[in-house]
Amino acid sequence: MRKDDAQSGVDLSPGLGSVMTELYEKSRGAEFGVTREQFDGVLGEIARKYLPADAAHHDLRELYASLRAEELALARACAAGHEHAWEVFLTRYRAKLYDIAGYITKESSTARELADSIYAELYGTATRDGQRTSKLASYTGRGSLEGWLRTVMMQEHVNRYRRQRRLVSLDEETEEGTQFATPEPEPAIAIDPRVEAAIDEVLAALPAEDRFVLASYFLDERTLAEIARTLGVHESTISRKVDKLAKSLRKQILAALGRRGMSRRQALEAIEVDVRDLRVNIRSRLAQETGGAAFSKKKVEAPAGEGS
Amino acid sequence: MAAIPKIISQRLQAMAELRDHPDANLLTAFVERSLKSAERVRVLEHLAACSSCREVVSFSAMPETSTVVSLAPSASSWLFWPALRWGAAVACVVVVGAVVTLHQKREPQQIAAVVTEGRSAAARIPEANTADQFARTHKAAASNPEDANHPVAPASPVEMADARPGSPLAAVVPGRAKDALAEPQNDQSDKFGTTNYAAMTSLAPRWTLSADGTLQRSLDTGATWQTIVVSSKTVFRALAANDLDIWVGGSAGALFHSSDAGEHWTQVRPIANGEALEDDIVGVEFTDTLHGKLTSSAEETWITADAGQTWQKQ
Repeated sequence: MRKDDAQSGVDLSPGLGSVMTELYEKSRGAEFGVTREQFDGVLGEIARKYLPADAAHHDLRELYASLRAEELALARACAAGHEHAWEVFLTRYRAKLYDIAGYITKESSTARELADSIYAELYGTATRDGQRTSKLASYTGRGSLEGWLRTVMMQEHVNRYRRQRRLVSLDEETEEGTQFATPEPEPAIAIDPRVEAAIDEVLAALPAEDRFVLASYFLDERTLAEIARTLGVHESTISRKVDKLAKSLRKQILAALGRRGMSRRQALEAIEVDVRDLRVNIRSRLAQETGGAAFSKKKVEAPAGEGS
Repeated sequence: MAAIPKIISQRLQAMAELRDHPDANLLTAFVERSLKSAERVRVLEHLAACSSCREVVSFSAMPETSTVVSLAPSASSWLFWPALRWGAAVACVVVVGAVVTLHQKREPQQIAAVVTEGRSAAARIPEANTADQFARTHKAAASNPEDANHPVAPASPVEMADARPGSPLAAVVPGRAKDALAEPQNDQSDKFGTTNYAAMTSLAPRWTLSADGTLQRSLDTGATWQTIVVSSKTVFRALAANDLDIWVGGSAGALFHSSDAGEHWTQVRPIANGEALEDDIVGVEFTDTLHGKLTSSAEETWITADAGQTWQKQ
């Protein structure tokens, strides 16, 4: 067992040697100056990151088989400053970086700024303990390198947007009147804690995917097509799921309220009151809290005429 | 569309907790559907409560079909010399002009060639195929710019093969399976005779799947997309492009393979131990021409080591 493997608590050697050899050959690591020992070290690091210390060999094999070996070796070689690896990386991904930035920001100067910033991080302009640290060293080959670049760039874009929002000047706020705006009134009717508890219970019991769909559709106001694309299913599947969830949630919450001693009429009233009362407020609150219109075309103000 | 009481929205929002975010690797793997079931559920648990990560995966999952801003990487220093920059611009105009002129001259001849050739794909001359494809694409775009993204697609795999370029595609660009890009071979200029024509055909095809499960290809780096009808009955959900090999899988175990960058298609029937794959194919991954992996909607993994001749189920 090697040192790295010992640290992970996982014995990688027996039965995995051939898998790792095959993976190394597939990675073309030698071409990029990545030795077998270095590559094995990277695999050990990835195993420690994603698997528990007592992971079975089967899980390890499955994890390794799922890795993008060639892209992993390329990224790690770039992070180590290998010249040929950088040539290959730039040939494949440089133009894409700028394309992705343009796609995300929809504005040329912002796009170039974003792409340049990511490029600097990938190259590793920052140093730690005298060592150049490249963001590519954090790529683990779980997905494609191009997909990872898209994700990293989008994360940076979201972070920038959030930072920018925090830096809105006092002058701007004053000009817009937001500094002195009357706060939205809280719902006039106090919510029975049993209602919140019942809803929380029902939501918590939903599968994660269902909660994701609900949050995407009702909080983020994503389209059915967008949600379907994210989950890799057909749009009609999401449409049916949203309809089904909306109906079953109501039914389950009424049942949960019944278990908490509410009559059906009381339970219905509790939900209906909230519907009327919260229609305006919550929508605007969600829009503020979830990051706003820059990321979601549908984040618009609530219809002013609605509500009590 | 369905609505839920506001109080449910409120509680849904209240469930959000600030937790460690999944790293970019996991989010990418989630978008590309290469996570194991348990990992996928963990990521979904986080996504259900984290609007930032939902924003990220939603954008990451979008096909690059509408790049609004086209940005080239920063020009190298010698290009900052104004004379060279203007010279390069003029050269581009001349090349484009020459390509358009050549294209217009050849178009009638090429269409005639395709008609007389009938459906004998094997006997087809690469130039004719390529030119026919470009003629169709350009005509569609010119006649109705709004439909430029969806030119009329052929109705069968055979017709689709008729419409394909004569495989001016080769070099691998590893990337997302859903948005793979194949780059042109260097020897295409010889194959097609003229430098200008080669320049035209050197547009790198990109492949993607639309939201409704059809295969689409772009010959102009994503500016316009055309639907490629491989099988009208199949809703495709997974795609892998690797060199000239294109694999596309979808509903009811339907799997199609092209070994010539989409010119000809063959349906592959994955069978392991006498049992055929009947579930939807939701993931296709080929690391080279021989070794590939399918993921089914039943979360089974089917593996081949001989380009789909034989399969093993895991």
